[in-house]
Amino acid sequence: CEGLRQKEYLQFRPPLLCSNIEIGGRRRREEEMGKISYMKLKGSQNLRQRLLLSTLSSTPILIEDIRADATWPGLLPHEVSFLRLLETVSDDCHVEINETGTKLKYKPGIVMGGKHLEHDCGLSRSIGYFLEPLIVLGLFGKKSLSIRLKGITNDSKDPSVDTFRSTTLPLLKRFGVPSEGLELKIESRGVAPKGGGEVILSVPIVHNSLKAVTWTDEGMVKRIRGISFSTRVSVQFENTMIHAARGIFNRLLPDVHIFTDHKAGAQAGKYVFLKPISPGYGISLVAETTSGCFLSVDTTISYARGNDEMDIDEKKELMPPEDVGEQIASLLLGEIEQGGVVDSTHQGLLFILCALCPQDVSKVRVGKLVPYGIETLRNIRDFLGVKFVIKPEPATGTVELKCIGCGLKNLSRKLS
Amino acid sequence: MERPQKSHRSRQSGPSAKKKSDTDKKKRDLTEEKKQNPKAFAFNSTVKAKRLQSRASEKEQRRLHIPTIDRTTGEPAPYVIVVHGPPQVGKSLLIKSLVKHYTKHNIPDVRGPLTIVSGKQRRLQFVECPNDINGMIDAAKFADLALLLIDGSYGFEMETFEFLNILQVHGFPKVMGVLTHLDKFKDVKKLKKTKQRLKHRFWTEIYDGAKLFYLSGLIHGKYVKREIHNLARFISVMKFHPLSWRTTHPYILVDRLEDVTAPDKVSTNKKCDRNVTLYGYLRGCNMKRGTKVHIAGVGDYNVAGVTGLADPCPLPSAAKKKGLRDKEKLFYAPMSGVGDLLYDKDAVYININDHFVQFSKVGDEDDNARKGAERDVGEVLVKSLQNTQYSVDEKLNKSFINFFSQTSNNPGKVMNGDEQDDEDHVKHKNSIEPMEEPDTVGSDEDSDGEDVDDLEEAKNPHENSTTKTFGDSPELKDNQQERARNNIEEEVEFHKGRMRRKAVFGNESKLDDQELQATDDDEEVEDDNSDEESSSYSDSSGEEEEDDLEENVGNASKWKESLVERTISRQNMNLMQLVYGQSESKPNASLREDSDAEESDDEEFFKPKGEENKKLRQGLEGDQVNTEDSSKFTNYASVRDWKDGETVESIRDRFVTGDWSKAARRGKATEVDSENDDDGPVFGEFEDLETGEKHEGDQTGEANEEPDSAAEERRLKKLALRAKFDAQYNGSESPDEADDNSHKGKDNNGQANEGGFLDKLREEAELQRQRNIAELTDLDEATRVDIEGYRTGTYLRLEIHDVPYELIEHFDPCHPILVGGIGFTEENVGYMQARFKRHRWHKKVLKTKDPIIVSIGWRRYQTLPIYAIEDLNGRHRMLKYTPEHMHCLAMFWGPLAPPNTGVVAVQNLSNTQASFRITATAVILEFNHAAKIVKKIKLVGEPCKIYKKTALIKKMFTSDLEVARFEGASIRTVSGIRGQVKKAGKIELGNKPKKNGGQPEDGIARCTFEDKILMSDIVFLRAWTQVDVPCFYNPLTTALQARGETWRGVRTVGELRREYNLRVPDNKDSHYKPIERPLKKFNPVIVPKSLQSALPFRSKPKDTKSKKDGRAVVAEPHERDVHKLLQHLQLIRHNKMKQQKLKKQEKKKKHDTEKAKEEVVNKKRQREERRERYRTQDKLQKKMRRD
Repeated sequence: CEGLRQKEYLQFRPPLLCSNIEIGGRRRREEEMGKISYMKLKGSQNLRQRLLLSTLSSTPILIEDIRADATWPGLLPHEVSFLRLLETVSDDCHVEINETGTKLKYKPGIVMGGKHLEHDCGLSRSIGYFLEPLIVLGLFGKKSLSIRLKGITNDSKDPSVDTFRSTTLPLLKRFGVPSEGLELKIESRGVAPKGGGEVILSVPIVHNSLKAVTWTDEGMVKRIRGISFSTRVSVQFENTMIHAARGIFNRLLPDVHIFTDHKAGAQAGKYVFLKPISPGYGISLVAETTSGCFLSVDTTISYARGNDEMDIDEKKELMPPEDVGEQIASLLLGEIEQGGVVDSTHQGLLFILCALCPQDVSKVRVGKLVPYGIETLRNIRDFLGVKFVIKPEPATGTVELKCIGCGLKNLSRKLS
Repeated sequence: MERPQKSHRSRQSGPSAKKKSDTDKKKRDLTEEKKQNPKAFAFNSTVKAKRLQSRASEKEQRRLHIPTIDRTTGEPAPYVIVVHGPPQVGKSLLIKSLVKHYTKHNIPDVRGPLTIVSGKQRRLQFVECPNDINGMIDAAKFADLALLLIDGSYGFEMETFEFLNILQVHGFPKVMGVLTHLDKFKDVKKLKKTKQRLKHRFWTEIYDGAKLFYLSGLIHGKYVKREIHNLARFISVMKFHPLSWRTTHPYILVDRLEDVTAPDKVSTNKKCDRNVTLYGYLRGCNMKRGTKVHIAGVGDYNVAGVTGLADPCPLPSAAKKKGLRDKEKLFYAPMSGVGDLLYDKDAVYININDHFVQFSKVGDEDDNARKGAERDVGEVLVKSLQNTQYSVDEKLNKSFINFFSQTSNNPGKVMNGDEQDDEDHVKHKNSIEPMEEPDTVGSDEDSDGEDVDDLEEAKNPHENSTTKTFGDSPELKDNQQERARNNIEEEVEFHKGRMRRKAVFGNESKLDDQELQATDDDEEVEDDNSDEESSSYSDSSGEEEEDDLEENVGNASKWKESLVERTISRQNMNLMQLVYGQSESKPNASLREDSDAEESDDEEFFKPKGEENKKLRQGLEGDQVNTEDSSKFTNYASVRDWKDGETVESIRDRFVTGDWSKAARRGKATEVDSENDDDGPVFGEFEDLETGEKHEGDQTGEANEEPDSAAEERRLKKLALRAKFDAQYNGSESPDEADDNSHKGKDNNGQANEGGFLDKLREEAELQRQRNIAELTDLDEATRVDIEGYRTGTYLRLEIHDVPYELIEHFDPCHPILVGGIGFTEENVGYMQARFKRHRWHKKVLKTKDPIIVSIGWRRYQTLPIYAIEDLNGRHRMLKYTPEHMHCLAMFWGPLAPPNTGVVAVQNLSNTQASFRITATAVILEFNHAAKIVKKIKLVGEPCKIYKKTALIKKMFTSDLEVARFEGASIRTVSGIRGQVKKAGKIELGNKPKKNGGQPEDGIARCTFEDKILMSDIVFLRAWTQVDVPCFYNPLTTALQARGETWRGVRTVGELRREYNLRVPDNKDSHYKPIERPLKKFNPVIVPKSLQSALPFRSKPKDTKSKKDGRAVVAEPHERDVHKLLQHLQLIRHNKMKQQKLKKQEKKKKHDTEKAKEEVVNKKRQREERRERYRTQDKLQKKMRRD
């Protein structure tokens, strides 16, 4: 395992250092004059969010001690890849990383957006990891964004692309994002370890600013939808999962439809030596409520990344599909039980969107605050200066959050 | 019939004649309309009608505006009225007269902003606009209403138009013209004409019907009272619409400035950087704590401290009565030396004129004016007080009487000398005050203060030492307690140095009440409290009850102590603090604290997720910062078995298949019956986090209410209030709507569709506004400031550190200081693109890269723009000069401003310039990090070798690499033969260097053409090259120099040349010379013989010999004679003719001169005749008229 880590390390590091270390003449001058004041942060946590908020608020940041004491210090490949993605979509953004990768200087540029962009997300995290910040960033660009992302589409760590389509995009529409031009197209799927999936994300720009929301009614679940997929395995896996999941829902709701999406051939990831190498299957469920909230969960079962290609056969057994189906259905019920207008995965995004609104009161209700949500709240406070009023409601077990947005406008848009 | 009287003669002049003529005209107009041919104006073309209609509707549309959400709450800040005009026009006099009118005060001179209360709902702030262009630009940025004073006897001056242009660019606030010096006119008619003329000129500049006010003259050196009264009335009914830049940026017009640098620092180094405090009303939008500010004319600064102070000039209380009482006609102008009381964060200054104070020691340096407290009766006493070295409580300490039980705990009491110097002014306190404090409160709050841990105090020792006079006063502790809860409170800070606080402030008094009640009332309160707590928080109730038991048993003071202690501990527990941590200043610090908090709660709240989390829990301190970044929070451990019937039933109501009524109740549960709601075990683990917060919320609410009546009653009342509010809330929209509708009805009839859309927008905006107000009412002051920042209209004190000393040294109250908040990205620098137009009154066109001074947003800076124009294909082509009458693009480098911001450009700042100073106006289109402006470039080369249609071109490129860059580029010869660059040429073919033994020439391109070119042809390649926009901007630091001085920045090339006496470089090649085209001589065409023979006869060159070289003719003698004779005759005839011609010419000349002479005489005679005729005619006419 460590050998491969080393390899990855080598694969990703050298080009990074070559292109990013150099400083342009102007920048150097600015730095010498001490014009740029960096916001100092520590640690690798929430790197995505920090970079996102730093770009939106155009605050240069300096992050130190990125896994300084870890066995493999410095930025991980997916983090570097995310930095590259930022460079792709923005103009004049400036990244500087020290030799060990434990220190990162980032000076945001202007988000340009644009069409026909392409980014390889690598294999250490799934596309979901990149999508989350990218959709927010895309809203505040000069032109609408359309980008092709390559890598792992479904993963157990990050929300899958299906969840994005079913839950995240409707969430954005709540905030006044124009619905035309907002879509995610899944070209092909790929799971860990070798990926090979492709999606095309298009995000429109907001013309002035978002719209504040008052969104506290979670409503009642009226239907459950879902999509299951399988790559390089039998369709039977999907059917089993769906059957198991329905078994649990049936006692609560009749309106359950879970679609199957069996991918084969080129649409199902990479071949190596004519052998399919990333088999996997997964399911994404979404519960829609009477008030138009979407609560979703997803999971993916595939071989863990980091193993050598040769020993596929020796890998430990994957979770059987019945268990997966039951587990994911239970998780969805768990989310529903918690209450809140979004599921725990989308808390962070919801908070960020609220904070980016004009200077009006936004009011939302979520279930229990998850650590990621809490971290988001702190980051929002640090970067945008927006604090939330957090009021728990013990009767329902939910938390009500209120904030006044920071009044961010899409400044990079050209006045026509 | 015969009439004896003479007929009525209507008046030819005077008012009655005018009146008559007016009515007459009206009549005539009517009749004229009737006279018109009715058919000529009948409806006869549908197309035309349609066009007219669409035009009308378009005009209507232009009038409509998208409604904006009004985000201001509470009292508006005083409206700023800028009085502007050229020098000696009567600005200060006008302000004085207005102030006199409003407040019945005479002010000696107008310096700085003057705030007055003008009505029950309105305050005004008068500012005199300085006369230099910088001051005008700043004034335009904060003016709500501009009074343009115009010297009627002189007419308009350039300043007025300059100011109008600046106003227009920065949002165009309301403008009213005021004509003065009208008493200079002796002639009434002339006066009227002048008024008319000026009015119409004013209208063309602003809009038709713009208000122009006339001040007819002076009486006893003041304007006429009646006219001032009218002017004031105009001002009082004026409506101010929001301006987009200002509603998105907070700003403060500084009406007071203090230097708070440590005096020893100043005495050691007079030029050290200063700390200043700036005071003023917050305007625009709410200001959050972390906001950076721009001080106009100084630069960008971080605000070291913001505090809201009590309003120095508050609006009268809302009692129902007509007009203002004299007492309420407040007046505040610290810079003019008016307003005796000045409040600061920690002190109150009493202003007493120097000549009133005779008893202070001469040696006292800086606080002479502030010190005097009593009249000369107590002079000795005061002197003795001045001589005391220790303050009262220090003495108390020394005397070992423990006045307040806990005083020795307070480390902040220890003072150091410098700070004593610094804060000397606080000393004028009345020593009786602490005695006045009720004992109960004292002890109670003492216990309060005790709870503030020492750490907190150690953190801000400075805070403590500043309040050294009565360092241990309850207020201080109170304050500290507040501080511990992250809220530096305006009221509290205002009170820190003062003792009587209860009378004034609702918030504070409420707190006191609460505490008093807590002490006065007995277990009943406590019971109530605990009841509620137990009901809403099931698991904390047990502990509470234990507490209760203890409290009942223990003695009173202990009981109180624990009560307060518990309140604080509870407050610390609330969810917001869990998330945001205790101290908010440093993210790092807060993170650490938070991680602590999290760990303690980990057991219940955060379940271990995977290995990462496990590791995290082991070494939390170190590794928290490197957790994995994943938004997904899957809690596999807590997954319950949903096959179980009971668990399924527990969420049955969350589905549409469940009980709808129950579900509906679930949503309302918290609002309606939070007390009674007993939540099941489902949310057991949740409770721990919430208890604290909920406690706080309830307790503050209940503690106030409980004592006097039952909780039930209260709740009902609350509900009723809510209902009332709801009704009002819904109602409030409808009248507005109705109002809008009626407006609309007037404005656009027949535009129902559009109007509906607009109405919807309006409704939405109003709804959002109501929501904003409603949501934030239930918050306490401190959190509110945290959440939304300081509200507009608050009187703020900004502390700013490290300001250059010149600001203080050259400070002039007549030049108001503007402090503007900076939004996101506005502190960054970059390239900006603006749509730019030279002002039509500016005399010259502007040259690219010549420095101009621009004012954008709050800023003023000098920059070097590059002008460009967008070609049809979207290319930005550089222009050397701005176009004469067109917009162009300007790219420049500077601090970024959001798109749609207005820009005004000036080239010359000096006051001596006679002509118009506004150079150009612009609007920002976008900002960018790369400026893409190109200019045309022609690469010229010549052929060095020509094949058929291919040629090798030299001198066009300098290297083969360059050729490679231009492969495929199209080229052209002068004669118009087009071609293309192919590749770098092979050297051997081109100039054969090996043979010559020279170095091979580089940069020879092989090109192909559509035809064979000549060696004499010149080949050129047309290309575009990037023009760099200079990365230069120079902020105008006009506040840091003497105000009379003209700021000097980068000079234009022209100025430099003039200054150094340099000539404009003269390139001889650039001169235009007459084109000389020598006739080209072509060699005769030589057709080879072989070709000739092959040609057809027709094309063959013929052997045509000319006949000239024929044989010579030899004449006969007779013939020769004849020929000779003929020649002679011809010669004679020629001569004759010549002579005749000469004679004729002479004759003609003579004739001409004669004729001319005659003409002159003739003319003279005719004139005489005419004159005579006219004279007689005139006489005749006069005669006739007389008759």
